[in-house]
Amino acid sequence: MNGNIRGFGCKAATVLAFGASIAAVSSPAQAGIYDAGKVLATSGVNIIDGAAGGGITPWAVIAGYETNQGINGSIHYTYANLPNYSLNSLGAAIGFYDRLELSYAYDLLPTGSTFNTVGLLTNTLAGVVVQDSGIDPFNTAIRMDIFGAKLRVIGESIYDSDSLMPQVALGGFYKINHNQELMKTLLANKTKDFEAYVAITKIFFPLDLLVNVTVRYTAANQTGLTGFGGPNKNKREFRPEVSFAYLLAKNIAIGAEYAAHGKNTDGRGVAVGGNVDTSVLGSITGALNNIGIGGPVGNLANNLNDTLTQRESDWFDVFFAYFPSKNLSFVAAYANLGNITLTPKQTGAYFSVQASF
Amino acid sequence: MKSYNKLLAAGAMSVLSMSAFAGSETPEGKVQATYPPISSDAYEKFGGEYGVARWTEALFKYIMADNRINHIFAAHGKIDRQIALNKQLVSVMLGAPGVEYQGASMSAAHEEMKITLTQFNAVVEDAYLACEDVRTPYHTCNQLIAALAPFKRSIVTR
Ligand code: HEM
Repeated sequence: MNGNIRGFGCKAATVLAFGASIAAVSSPAQAGIYDAGKVLATSGVNIIDGAAGGGITPWAVIAGYETNQGINGSIHYTYANLPNYSLNSLGAAIGFYDRLELSYAYDLLPTGSTFNTVGLLTNTLAGVVVQDSGIDPFNTAIRMDIFGAKLRVIGESIYDSDSLMPQVALGGFYKINHNQELMKTLLANKTKDFEAYVAITKIFFPLDLLVNVTVRYTAANQTGLTGFGGPNKNKREFRPEVSFAYLLAKNIAIGAEYAAHGKNTDGRGVAVGGNVDTSVLGSITGALNNIGIGGPVGNLANNLNDTLTQRESDWFDVFFAYFPSKNLSFVAAYANLGNITLTPKQTGAYFSVQASF
Repeated sequence: MKSYNKLLAAGAMSVLSMSAFAGSETPEGKVQATYPPISSDAYEKFGGEYGVARWTEALFKYIMADNRINHIFAAHGKIDRQIALNKQLVSVMLGAPGVEYQGASMSAAHEEMKITLTQFNAVVEDAYLACEDVRTPYHTCNQLIAALAPFKRSIVTR
């Protein structure tokens, strides 16, 4: 699966090429459609899904520093270091006339220790591998392409301070998770799906505060990194997301974000050695306990069952964003992503760097 | 559910108030009504008459140094009048007692220049630089930005 890593390098080249092409537009000689007229920091940053927003939530702002006078864009790289995973997101977004945004992100999630264990276990349990679990112990990475579009429909987040009317945008993502076998193992229903959202953003200058509320219509498990839908729940549902950014200075913001996640695979096991859902293993061990077969054997089975039960939690982060110039910004955050599939307490540092043209 | 209704009502009201403003004049004559209101001691925090005067001078220093927009101001050649009138306007907007704005309305003053949002934002960036110049804290500066922000609808016509 070295191809995963090579793949990332290839995507990086594509994203950089994209960057270079925007840079070409930005050369003064072609001062027609290039524009960087937004006020510093008001374009937000690129989220792990690639759209402009906070860190995990898309906002109603359009990517890039353009106003209605032109085109601008940005590229980002984000790295989140969690106890059992690391998340890499590399992407580009382009804003047209502060009205339409097109974005792309490539998310890469090397899965680390958890899946090594599951992979070794499934390989052992299965003996002869009946079904590819999609886990190559010590070398598994989840890969997802995310294509996004966002249209600002009404309102002005910055200057209509005399009304409560916010800026409103409609957007969507099409996400393609490339780990088909692994998604089967994780009992996800689909590996490709779309998400739609409505985002509303308002800046309250008297309070130095930006508030964003987004409602996402989605069936994603862990943003789609572990697929879409579950064994019983496949329908998309509305999930709220909220961001606050307190503006400490014209180039510094601190804030917090919350994003509700679904429960499609929550409480479910994983499919090992064919089609056995490990939560079934749980009922069996439970039954064994009930008829008095406890002791070390029962405990072992129970522990195994706990270990192999998937959980999903709402996501939460607190962030610090610094915009030294319109061309460069940094985000440092503490992310609490809770339970991610088989591993609880996934909290860790999140760093993001973004360049605009 | 009740609070949800309230929110909806607030939303509807703000849409109405927006359409009431659309195309009509923003109030140069009195303190701008913002949501939430700007702090009541904004004028004092801004340094009163002396503070507003120094800030306005700093603003025009930055505007005249700003290649994105200085040519527009230079072409009209009324910088002294603009500085004087902006001192009045800023004072009124920050709630200074007994000050009157004697200039033209914002739409009358800017209409035929066909100002873009990019140019308007350049003035906003210069306004923040002017605040830093006279050591007016960001929070206080934002009270002024909030108060002047709705003029964007009268000033930006492109
Ligand atoms: C909130 C932002 C702004 C405020 C509060 C403001 C305020 C004023 C005031 C008070 C005047 C004097 C009106 C009079 O002579 O009676 C004026 C004139 C003028 N403004 Fe603005 N202005 C703003 C934005 C801009 C922008 C963005 C530009 C161009 C980039 C601009 C360019 C001018 C020019 C060139 C004049 C002189 C017009 C003339 O005398 O013919 N202003 N402005």
